[in-house]
Amino acid sequence: MNRNYIILTFLMLALAVGTLFLHLQKDTKQIQPEALLWDVLQPTRYVTTDQVAKRLIEKDPSLMLIDVRPAAEYTQFTLPGALNVPLDSLYTSAALANFGIPGAKVVLFANDAIAADEAWVILRRLNFKNNYVMKGGLNGWVETIIRPVAPAETAPETAFEQYNFRKAASMYFTGAKMDVNKDQKAKVVFKKRKKTVVASGGC
Amino acid sequence: MHVHDLNPKKTLWAVIIFVVLIIVGFITMKRPTMTYEQSVKQSVQMLSDTSAYYFYPYQLVEVLNHQNKDVVLIDIRNKYEFGQGHIPGAKSIPSFDLAKKENLNMLENYKQKKIRVVLYANNQLEATGAWFFFRQVGFENISVLLGGYDFYAAHQKDLEATYYDQNVYLKGVPRYDFAKVAKSAVTEAGTTQTTTKPVVFKRRKKATVAAGGC
Repeated sequence: MNRNYIILTFLMLALAVGTLFLHLQKDTKQIQPEALLWDVLQPTRYVTTDQVAKRLIEKDPSLMLIDVRPAAEYTQFTLPGALNVPLDSLYTSAALANFGIPGAKVVLFANDAIAADEAWVILRRLNFKNNYVMKGGLNGWVETIIRPVAPAETAPETAFEQYNFRKAASMYFTGAKMDVNKDQKAKVVFKKRKKTVVASGGC
Repeated sequence: MHVHDLNPKKTLWAVIIFVVLIIVGFITMKRPTMTYEQSVKQSVQMLSDTSAYYFYPYQLVEVLNHQNKDVVLIDIRNKYEFGQGHIPGAKSIPSFDLAKKENLNMLENYKQKKIRVVLYANNQLEATGAWFFFRQVGFENISVLLGGYDFYAAHQKDLEATYYDQNVYLKGVPRYDFAKVAKSAVTEAGTTQTTTKPVVFKRRKKATVAAGGC
């Protein structure tokens, strides 16, 4: 065999082995820092309390709520159907198993959006998609959904529609009774059934 | 008989060109401008130590009086918002420009000089993402301004006094007793509960028809 070919073969082999060590990353699951920064700066991850309330009322099966507060606060109160993944134990295999389920939309929340946002950044770095952050958190939930504030008289129509939705949602989530307006009470109209004319005797 | 046997120099040239191409490729390869210096585990752990990264509004007093020269304020809102009003002495770097080479070099420079960099936006949430990211790529001198510009603008006359009302801007704390609120919300909102009595229908007994006949 030609000597040149042997040299070439070894050269190629050496280069091929060299490329193995070129991009040896510790964790290939993580996304590149530039990509992470780009995603972090987008505001698309935020959802409003109204959107979450609507999905909850509609019983959307793709909605998955994750409460990132400590377990003690979670047991006191949480949103219907929410799971608890405390922020400090987010990076455990048991906690991460809740994310990346195909078709599921995960909404993270805490007392406000800060802790949920931090959890989101970690999850995005680990290349999990379809995670969202509930803006305002539970404080916002109380202020908008549970105790809605009536809009001013001059507010646009949509503000009133939103207020009506929130009032109804508040009743839904707190189990309060529906407020019945007296004026709208339907009148029950009796209709006398016509007496069937009795065959007036006679034979 | 092989074609290279006729001209062994050709093979040599092919090898040289091949090697040169590969070397050029390696040299011009685009390297990532940032790498993660903190592992995911470290990043999560870091979050529990809030004193390491919070910059309180009352701490601004020293910076604005030029008593504390080891702090640099960076406004990451867009240029328009910066023009509308900003904290005196703050540098304007819109968040999307933070990863530009000159800005990264500047941050690196501050890091070497151990100067504390404080990021702020309109509120704490808007700056949290950028702040947390730059922590993870190794800028441990980066902090985030609590309350953001909105809080500063509302309290710029009495920043020192805000030391005592931390509850106003401190995030992450529940402002309500959620379990209690969740049960009593609607009655508090002032709606009256009226009980409506069901209307009872009474069927009139059919008068039995005189069964005909005379």
